[in-house]
Amino acid sequence: MDMAEDGGEGSARRLQVRFVTKLNEPFKVPSTAIAIPADLNRFGLSSLVNALLQSNDDDYKPEPFDFLIDGEFVRMPLEQFLLAKGISAERILEIEYTRVVAPRKEEDPCLHDDWVSAVDGSSSRFFLTGCYDGLGRVWKDAGLCTHILEGHSDAVTSVSVINSTGMETVTVATASKDRTLRLWKLNTEEPIKHPIRIRAYKILRGHKSAVQSVAAQTSGEMVCSGSWDCTINLWQTSDFNAEDDLVSKKRKVGGQVEDSQIEGEAFSTLVGHTQCVSSVAWPQRETIYSASWDHSTRKWDVETGKSLTDIFCGKVLNCLDVGGEGSALIAAGGSDPILRVWDPRKPTTSAPVFQFASHTSWVSACKWHDKSRFHLLSASYDGSVMLWDLRTAWPLSVIKSHSDKVLSADWWKSDSVISGGADSKLCISSEIPVQ
Amino acid sequence: MTGKKKATKQNNHEDPSEKFPSPTASDSDSDSDYQDSSTDDDDSSFSPDSQSESEPENGSPENDVSGDSEAGASKDEVHDEDGGNESSDLHQGGAESDSSEDEVAPRNTVGDVPLKWYDDEPHIGYDIKGKKIKKKEKQDKLDSFLANVDDSKSWRKVYDEYNDEVVELTKDEIKLIGRLIKNRAPHADFDPYPDYVDWFKWEDAKHPLSNAPEPKRRFIPSKWEDKRVVQLVRAIRKGLIPFNKPKEEDGPYLLWGDDSGSTEKANHLAYIPAPKRRLPGNDESYNPPLEYIPTQEEINSYQLMYEEDRPKFIPKRFTSMRSIPAYENAMKDCFERCLDLYLCPRVRKKRLNIDPESLKPKLPSRKELKPYPITCYIEYKGHEDAVTSISIEASGQWMASGSSDGTVRIWEVETGRCLRQWEVGEAVSCIAWNPLPDIHILAVSVGQDVLLLNTCLGDEEEQKRIKDLLWVDPSTASDDSGNKAPSVSWLKDDKHEGLRLRHFKTVTTVEWHRKGDYFSTVMPADILFECYKYMIHGPYRKQTVKLVVDYIFVSCFVIGLNGTRGIKCYTRTGFSLTSSLRESRAVLIHQLSKKLTQKLPFKLHGLAVRSTFHPSRSIFFVCTKKSVRVYDLLKTKVIKKLDTGLREASSIAVHPGGDNLIVGSKEGKMCWFDMDLSSKPYKILKCHPKDINNVVFHRSYPLFASCSDDCTAYVFHGMVYSDLNQNPLIVPLEILRGHTSSNGRGILDCKFHPRQPWLFTAGADKLIKLYCH
Repeated sequence: MDMAEDGGEGSARRLQVRFVTKLNEPFKVPSTAIAIPADLNRFGLSSLVNALLQSNDDDYKPEPFDFLIDGEFVRMPLEQFLLAKGISAERILEIEYTRVVAPRKEEDPCLHDDWVSAVDGSSSRFFLTGCYDGLGRVWKDAGLCTHILEGHSDAVTSVSVINSTGMETVTVATASKDRTLRLWKLNTEEPIKHPIRIRAYKILRGHKSAVQSVAAQTSGEMVCSGSWDCTINLWQTSDFNAEDDLVSKKRKVGGQVEDSQIEGEAFSTLVGHTQCVSSVAWPQRETIYSASWDHSTRKWDVETGKSLTDIFCGKVLNCLDVGGEGSALIAAGGSDPILRVWDPRKPTTSAPVFQFASHTSWVSACKWHDKSRFHLLSASYDGSVMLWDLRTAWPLSVIKSHSDKVLSADWWKSDSVISGGADSKLCISSEIPVQ
Repeated sequence: MTGKKKATKQNNHEDPSEKFPSPTASDSDSDSDYQDSSTDDDDSSFSPDSQSESEPENGSPENDVSGDSEAGASKDEVHDEDGGNESSDLHQGGAESDSSEDEVAPRNTVGDVPLKWYDDEPHIGYDIKGKKIKKKEKQDKLDSFLANVDDSKSWRKVYDEYNDEVVELTKDEIKLIGRLIKNRAPHADFDPYPDYVDWFKWEDAKHPLSNAPEPKRRFIPSKWEDKRVVQLVRAIRKGLIPFNKPKEEDGPYLLWGDDSGSTEKANHLAYIPAPKRRLPGNDESYNPPLEYIPTQEEINSYQLMYEEDRPKFIPKRFTSMRSIPAYENAMKDCFERCLDLYLCPRVRKKRLNIDPESLKPKLPSRKELKPYPITCYIEYKGHEDAVTSISIEASGQWMASGSSDGTVRIWEVETGRCLRQWEVGEAVSCIAWNPLPDIHILAVSVGQDVLLLNTCLGDEEEQKRIKDLLWVDPSTASDDSGNKAPSVSWLKDDKHEGLRLRHFKTVTTVEWHRKGDYFSTVMPADILFECYKYMIHGPYRKQTVKLVVDYIFVSCFVIGLNGTRGIKCYTRTGFSLTSSLRESRAVLIHQLSKKLTQKLPFKLHGLAVRSTFHPSRSIFFVCTKKSVRVYDLLKTKVIKKLDTGLREASSIAVHPGGDNLIVGSKEGKMCWFDMDLSSKPYKILKCHPKDINNVVFHRSYPLFASCSDDCTAYVFHGMVYSDLNQNPLIVPLEILRGHTSSNGRGILDCKFHPRQPWLFTAGADKLIKLYCH
């Protein structure tokens, strides 16, 4: 009926709306209520706001917007949305608009010699990649490789920046299928023309099988690693602490000709998983989260080494990240195309609070945005990276820059997505306006 | 009584002298009598009657006179009223004699039937000659009334409905009627109270008939009648005897109704009601809607049809009922219908009305049986020819595959990356990963060799152990080969840094024992395989076809064509065949740690196809083409022989519990054996249209799968209960598709992931696929 009326009388049905935004000056529209046709969809709203902005400022360039009503993204004609959500159209509607979260720019891909299995973009000055040729690489920007981390005898599976805070010398950790983790120190500030090859200052041995994942404590004192031997090991990062390290250093001195490489042994081991620990995260000082092929995610207490909670999901899990609201939501993906988000604070339920199912193959990586509590990304074997917002079930944007499996992805500098895949490329999609 | 009355009435005007004929004589008798007597003589017949009737003779002369006159009058009337055709007869009769005319019998002969039947007819009945007696014309009421008024005798006239005439009663008759009305005896002379004449009095008689005194029962009311009356009264009170029962009349009935339910006929056991004809539809209407009427083209096309196919009835349209012609086939149709009903035997078929759904076994729904592999997520690409065999490492991190392109590859399960590759030179027939998680050794069967490859996984200590295991002393190896039966020689393979076990025949399968020290190899080929090989490759294609069929022919062939290249091989393998039949060298068991090879100390009947170890006990299964033999290795004896009933078994898998096994066959059937139950298959699953290449059980989940040349893999739920009374539950779950056929071959191998409910399939289309839950 309503639709018919609309069709018959054109824009007869109108809504009183007021556009509000948290965006800064060039994107602010006057906060007066205006009447708009009820059958506008997202594109119509976007062009309307652009027109309003353009009327204020002649230099303004049109920009796509996304619209939120009562904290939910509008993904259908306005009227339909109001009907579906049961929102009254009588009063003045407040529509919040944000810039569309989608990459505006594709940087040149960074070419690698082999599959790019790991990326880390937690430092804004550089990003780190791990590759199947056993090398870790540090990139200043797209196509600008500054350091090559040399030493692993097998594929690097995971990389992590240990302390990304303002110091000139940063420490990074890499995990590899050769059952070791290596810690590296590098100076990112010095201007470098050619990539310099550096060696690890510390080799962490102790896993009996391939190390699958590494994560650093926020303070940078320790790292934890998950491995195919079903354990999570905690390691100390400092280069001169324990006696046994010195012993190993002595032993190593005979073998290694050049730099003195100290060896480290596990500070502690968390046992409990029954299968490969595929991913670990260490968001707070005292808690470690882990995902495993035994279909569970666990929360560990570092002090006691005990598992606090575990959530079973029935699928093999490959990736895990903790973030979102209060840095407490667990996002994990695995051997099915669904990205799941759990809230461990909800008692007595192991059902995911959000499920995002637009991928078509295994989810290989998922990461929360470091500033926004709504945004996260996921990478999948179907070759796409998707950006998600908790406020809508549809992906905000799908980045299809890879021609093969995407093995790893991360945010970088809060506005870019870096992803590495089985096509030996590292793609950077930048200028993503996430607040 | 009515009949008698009528008779008297009829006789009244005929002949008063015969007013009281013998009362026993029936009407017809009396009729004939009269006719006879009339022809003969009146008086002669009359006289004896008058004698017998003594009393009423007095009044008869009067009656006669009046009767005569009356009769004459009535006769005249009759004459007047009679129709034309009968009048001549009657006139004739009248001319002859009065008496004879009087004796014309009651003219109407219809008898005692309801006269209303003739209400609508123009006649009232038939005379004795069968001619119709016309009804008289009815006077209208006014005329008859006037006539009655005028006629002083009209009160005496009575209308006789039966003969359709008016009868005038005589005075005597009126008197008689009057007496009857008064409830007196009809005749005035009759004395109802004559003096009692005691004909049999015995008071004074010499010989009384009975001397018994009158019994009491003559004087008292009957007890039984009393009872009967009481019974009836009660019945009436209860309403068991209804009065004023409404008369049942034949109402309208359903012409097309189903009379199969009619009770009297249905009681009859053998009665089968005739099938009903089809009811006429719209098209058989005289004025059917236009769409029912065939066009001229359609009618023409009917002519081209066969007689049987032609429609029996072609609808036609008539503007009115009036213009409908007679149906030309009416008689034919009726006749055929009768023939059908009469000649076609109707047999009652007992139809079992069974819901097919109820015949299905009650299986749990597939959703409850999750997880099981459903979708293909990862493909492992890289092989350049059909992938013949795959094997998964114990932890589930790695997968090895062997292909017809002569390479062995190791893949990372998680990402689909090829980790390593060996060129072994010849097509790989089987590959098996050592089941121990710390011994990363691959056993690969290539042609006549079995290669033991070091995959270089694992840490240094493990590598050291592996290298120890794979080291063989060249001197001992040569010793081994020097034995009388050169069964297997253990050689060092420098190219691949492994071991090479050289067999004397082509090895098709390699299977590890669960402890990772022993492994068995099967050389099923023997002579047949060699024949087959030479049939394909050799120059004697035509001649050798027969050889495959029969051993004897092989030996003949060997003798006959000795000397050529192909034949030499035959002779060699021919000998080995005979020996292998006795010693069963087709299946060998090797020990890796001691580098020893032993034969099975049993006799094999039939060609060995596959062998496998029991998952927990020292039991060994050998699958031959027709049967499965179960050996106890410790006691060295045959425990059991399982009869598959298959033509050619191709694969075998043992349930991790050890008591159940499945055998796949080349005819697409799969047999599930419960060894505690029977030596016959517990269940035979026929699902693949083509050869089954492999069957496999999952190690921890209750799953099993089969893969076939039809490019599908079937996943089943196979739950084995620890309760011995409960049979295993087998539920088909999923058909996995995705592979394409290549050279008529589909999926060549399938294996489950050791820890996840995932299935790997290796196809002839060079791909390996991973199906996840």
